[in-house]
Amino acid sequence: MAGTEPRVHYLAGFSCPLGGLAAGKPRVLCHEQEVFLSTGSEFVYVYDQEGGLLTAVYRFPDQVWHLQLLALRRALYVLCARKGIYCLSLESPTRRSSSQTDEDKDSEVSSPVITVDPEACVLPDTTLCAFTVHDDVLVALVQGPAQWKMQLFERPCPGEDRWPGGLVGEVELSTSTPPAGAPGKLTSPCFLPVLCCVSPPGSRVPRGHPQGCGGFMLEEALFGLLFGADATLLESPVILCGLPDGQLCCVVLKALVTSRSAPGDPKALVKILHHLEEPVVFIGALKTEPQAEEAVESVLPCEDVYSDCLVALGHHGRTLAIKASWDKSGNLVPELREYCLPGPVLCAACGGGSRMYHSTPSDLCVVDLALGGVPLNSEQPQSDGAPGCLPPLLCPASLSICSVLTLSVLSRTPAGGTELLALSTKGCLMTCRVDLNSEMPGPTRMTTENAGQKIKELLSGIGDVSERVSFLKKAVDQRNKALTSLNEAMNVSCALLSSREGPPPISCTTTTAWSRLQLQDVLMATCLLENNSDFSLDQGWTLCIQVLTSSSALDLDSAGSAVTYTIPVDRLSPGSQREVTLPLGPSESGVLDLPVTMSYTLFYSLKEVVGGALAPSDPLEDPFLEEQPLDLLPEQEGICLPLSRHTVDMLQCLRFPSLAPPRASVPCPLGPAADLVDTFLETCRAPGSELAGPAALRAKYLPPSTASIRVSAELLRAALEDSHSGVPLCSATLQWLLAENAAVEIVRAQTLSSVQGVAPDGTDIHLIINEVAVTDLCLAGPIQAVEIQVESSSLADMCRVHHAIIGRMQTMVMEQAARGSNPPDLRVQYLRQIHANHEALLREVQSLRDRLCTEDEAGSCATAQRLLQVYKQLRSPSLVLL
Amino acid sequence: MSLPTFPGASAPRASCLDLWRERNDRLVRRAREVMAQECGLRRQQLIQDILEGFRGVLYSLQGLPAAVPLLPLELTVTCNFIILRVSLTQGFNEDQAQCVQQALKRVLETQEQLGPRLDQGLRELWYSVLHVSSLLPDLLPALHLLAGLQAAHWLSTDHLGDTAWLLQTLNGTQSRASEDLLLFLKTWSPPALESDASLILQDAQGLRNVLLTASALRQGLQELITGRLPKALSSLQEAASSLCSRPVLVQVYTALGNCLRRMGNPQRALLYLIAALKEGSACGLPLLEASRLYRQVGDTTAELESLELLAEALSVTYNSEAPQILIEVELLLPRPDPASPLHCGTQSQVKHLLASRCLQTGRAEAAAEHYLDLLALLLDGSGSRFSPPSCPPGPCMPEVFLEAALALIEAGRAQDALTVCEELLSRTSFLLPKMPRMREDVRKGTKELSHCPLWVSAAHLLQGQAWVQLRVQKKAISEFTSCLELLFRTMPEDKDQGAASNCEQGCRSGATLQHLRAAALISRGLEWLANGQDTKALQDFLLSVQMCPGHRDASFHLLQTLKKLNRRDEASAIWWRLKAQIQLPQEEATWSLPLYLETYLSWIHPPDCETLLEEFQTSITEPC
Repeated sequence: MAGTEPRVHYLAGFSCPLGGLAAGKPRVLCHEQEVFLSTGSEFVYVYDQEGGLLTAVYRFPDQVWHLQLLALRRALYVLCARKGIYCLSLESPTRRSSSQTDEDKDSEVSSPVITVDPEACVLPDTTLCAFTVHDDVLVALVQGPAQWKMQLFERPCPGEDRWPGGLVGEVELSTSTPPAGAPGKLTSPCFLPVLCCVSPPGSRVPRGHPQGCGGFMLEEALFGLLFGADATLLESPVILCGLPDGQLCCVVLKALVTSRSAPGDPKALVKILHHLEEPVVFIGALKTEPQAEEAVESVLPCEDVYSDCLVALGHHGRTLAIKASWDKSGNLVPELREYCLPGPVLCAACGGGSRMYHSTPSDLCVVDLALGGVPLNSEQPQSDGAPGCLPPLLCPASLSICSVLTLSVLSRTPAGGTELLALSTKGCLMTCRVDLNSEMPGPTRMTTENAGQKIKELLSGIGDVSERVSFLKKAVDQRNKALTSLNEAMNVSCALLSSREGPPPISCTTTTAWSRLQLQDVLMATCLLENNSDFSLDQGWTLCIQVLTSSSALDLDSAGSAVTYTIPVDRLSPGSQREVTLPLGPSESGVLDLPVTMSYTLFYSLKEVVGGALAPSDPLEDPFLEEQPLDLLPEQEGICLPLSRHTVDMLQCLRFPSLAPPRASVPCPLGPAADLVDTFLETCRAPGSELAGPAALRAKYLPPSTASIRVSAELLRAALEDSHSGVPLCSATLQWLLAENAAVEIVRAQTLSSVQGVAPDGTDIHLIINEVAVTDLCLAGPIQAVEIQVESSSLADMCRVHHAIIGRMQTMVMEQAARGSNPPDLRVQYLRQIHANHEALLREVQSLRDRLCTEDEAGSCATAQRLLQVYKQLRSPSLVLL
Repeated sequence: MSLPTFPGASAPRASCLDLWRERNDRLVRRAREVMAQECGLRRQQLIQDILEGFRGVLYSLQGLPAAVPLLPLELTVTCNFIILRVSLTQGFNEDQAQCVQQALKRVLETQEQLGPRLDQGLRELWYSVLHVSSLLPDLLPALHLLAGLQAAHWLSTDHLGDTAWLLQTLNGTQSRASEDLLLFLKTWSPPALESDASLILQDAQGLRNVLLTASALRQGLQELITGRLPKALSSLQEAASSLCSRPVLVQVYTALGNCLRRMGNPQRALLYLIAALKEGSACGLPLLEASRLYRQVGDTTAELESLELLAEALSVTYNSEAPQILIEVELLLPRPDPASPLHCGTQSQVKHLLASRCLQTGRAEAAAEHYLDLLALLLDGSGSRFSPPSCPPGPCMPEVFLEAALALIEAGRAQDALTVCEELLSRTSFLLPKMPRMREDVRKGTKELSHCPLWVSAAHLLQGQAWVQLRVQKKAISEFTSCLELLFRTMPEDKDQGAASNCEQGCRSGATLQHLRAAALISRGLEWLANGQDTKALQDFLLSVQMCPGHRDASFHLLQTLKKLNRRDEASAIWWRLKAQIQLPQEEATWSLPLYLETYLSWIHPPDCETLLEEFQTSITEPC
């Protein structure tokens, strides 16, 4: 129709999830200047049209499925999913607010979020799916395991505890198919049933706001025809119910009074009017007699118009219209007509007249059941006096507003137009002025001022369509991006997993250094992620670093702690690198449990990349799609690619204050977590005083723990010759050992062969390297060997250094063995002897440890003493690494 | 290598089993507390919360693979969950059956050799489980309780054979000789719980008692309906002698009263009904039964009195007892349908029964009052707690209006009757067809509307009668005329169809139409007579005899008028026909006519038919 002149005016925007709001559950109601709105989330907004601002936001414990307003009593009834019906008194919203949430304290002026009190729940029922309030009663539809049940309650008021005494009656609605969802499992249904209350003409019911109550009045002939003489005689309201399976049934409200000894008989109480065979999404009523409408309009306000046509809309657009008419023999018969409107229908609304608005994802359409949109109608001869027939065809006229989720007819403007209140998929609240004049303004009669108007409206229409275009475009872009990202990720994974030899395409190297942070020295690890591959690491990639401390020897139970750091790799193009610095310790308690193992993993999050793109780009197209993206997503959330592993041991953490260049004049490194009190005591102590701390005492009186390792000089020389040629072997060995320590430069410069260092906890460590000759091992004569001695006053630290050295030696020996160097002839007998000794010692260790578990304190002390001795013997072997 | 143990580890650390058991016990204690203290909305919410708690424990337990040590607790929690759920929703449904099935499968999962047969029905599952359970003695108490719940479910859904089979299997008796459910229930002795077992909401012994009472009562009611009274009596006496709550006892006593009344022992029946009334709680049922009893023995005053009491009792809203948290006998009883002796009806139905009984027994004043009460209650907007008596056995609303008008006329309140008729006309006349035709439309929506012409014309008839009473003859005659106009426009159509579908309404619309026509013609004729326009009267009487040849009253009136006009030949012809008719048995008694028409016809019945006939006989025979 060319006469449509929509004028869209945006009022406010509300938050909407990615992909837009879902159809079926949002509601918008209007009372005077206030708009009550729910978007299907757990919030109900109150918007002041005059002031153009939100006046209140109510937060419910679960999704809000339905709203109904009793304007006369200033009460808002809210159906909260899986909770029940809440009743809010709108008298003084600020006073009623039971608890203000803290999140919006500062923006309180604009919209305080009021968390709804559980006390406001007037009808708790987890299976409630729909309700309607009429006068003094509340009708609720409950989802049973196999059928729907309609329950009638006395209307609960806020703060009253009348339930379950208020249950007046109930009846089961027969339904062929059980409601969706497995029994016992409360799922959120796709389609909610539709309830509405039909009043007979002239009923003495105080009239509420027709839209707010979801009810309407039917003229007497149609009412009597549909609902029978009893309902007419009793002037009883009738509840119409449209179910998701397509059934349209009715229950006479006054007949729905049952008790335990007189239960409701579904056959007597429930009448099935029709079956739409698709979910019923809307029930409404229209006034299709044009001349009567004008007459009524001139006398009465439009709320008192009795409708003469009942309409019901199915999800896929099937529309039922019922009107009373006379057949040939003069009988009153219902005239039923089914139409097909474009679907899927998101929502619909009836204005005062004969027009019905219905919204699909692509358009908001209006149909006129009086005109039928076809001029052909007038040719049909109508028997005089008989109610007019329904049009044989409906021609929807587009209003060029897309994806409206919920509609409310505000008022009829004086010019004959209608104002609609609508909420779009993107959460936009808007008013649309619809002027459907019977005379079509042709292009010839367009004046300059209405041309400007027309252009404005066309522009707003274009804006609306372009919103949808941009929406779809965005979805396409998102998917393209996800595909590109997936391809890259695939390439990276292949490159990483297939490179067995050669430098890995993506590598991670680690260096450690001490630095001072807030009065405390902290060992920092610097990880360098290098991308030498041909592909870039983009969005979705994360570097995971797991720092695993070894268990402390003193605490046998603790299994060592693991901390995982995740660092998003934000675009690492080929050839570039990224540095990450992590503190390794010591921890709060001042302990640094060495060695620390750091493993590097690259993680690719499928959810982050694919999830967004798979989210329904346009959930309005078909709500059934809502569930699919979840199924499409693979089980695991992403891919893990292990990169490398690095161990930080004692040798890397030693500090050498004695070697420090004097100009730096760094004060002696404080112990980790240097206690202020200790420091104070330290400074208070008179110089030269012999009173010392336990460490000093131990250093003085206990012999330092020692360990030694002998390596054949030949082996070492072979291993170190390429890097340390021309350097004395002892110094070269020391340099090799401290290769990853910052002090290696000084050692190299001074060609030191022994060094005094400090462990992280402050104890001294002495590394001495000298050349010795081992005589009785080899038949050919003495073997030149290098002896590495470790001395420390702390047994634990000595062990850690020893462990670190042994570790390095192992690696070296393995490498050399691979090269195939020949060991000299050995005295096998002697070797065997040593081996036997060691085995005996190991056995003793085993038995001593077993005893340690069982013995009492005194005994265990002695055992521990002995254990230490044995360990000491084990540590100074007479063997040489060859 | 063994690690040194810690001092802390030797202290008893609670296992998960203990934790769950503790949670179950806490929930049970909380439920009992709530039952005892809370009421209304809050109670409902709290029970919902407790139910969620049980669900949580159950999910935790079922998250683990089934294991024998865990099973007793798991079954106990399942039972508690089902019991609370049933009492919350006031009935069994498929959810509970699935719970039971799940529990049984879990039991079987622990028995590996039974693994592959997991997809069997409930009965097969029970069979397998009960044969396995001998291996698991710890499981027996919980399993018996679960079996009790299963029996309750089957009983409430009328699977009596399954129930009997389950109990038989539980008892271990294999004899197929008897199928007596009551006997099996009596011999079933669930093992007692150990003192340290986890708590349950309702023990198996209690459940057994409930089952026993419920099944005895069910059987008794069933046999009452099918009419095997001696069997019903013994079953009901069984129910009365078992443990049951007061409301249930009232039901049992009422059913006993019903049974004894029908067996012809009104005295004993009355004793039971008095006992039922003494139980106090809901006294509606025994009062209704008492009214039936008094009606049977012909004590109208007592009958109406008990009906009045009943209407009063029903008008008092129950101070609704909080729903029983445990599984109660009432949950296992069938919903009373109108055929059941335990169907009490709503207040309006009782009110209507009272009013119509008053009308039938000639207490017009009282009838009028009761009808006015009824209409006021029904039409007041506030009467949302009041439903019309329009269930299938009762009349529909237009007929209630007509009966009310009739009662008012009989009580001498013609003006009020006019108002009632006016109201009826104003609310239904727009439904009148333009060309009235008795037609049974296949479509449901219009079916009852086909009776609309009848109601409207009857309203006109009554209005005419009211004007007669007010001595406004002109108006009376015009009302009768408009009634007749409407009636003669209405054609009975599709007679073959009509006969079948009209039975529902309790009256034959065809017969009603005929009798209405006759009644209207006679009424107008009488009015002509009173006006002195004898020929017009004669015309109407003649017409009525033609319209309704079987209607004797029309013939009497015709005879009388002919005699008055001294037209002896025609009169004797009518007399012979009448005499022949009286010889025949009364064909098609007025059983099918609605109450308002029946009463109306009694008004226009000539007062002294017998004397008229005898007089006429002598006058005929004398000259011969």
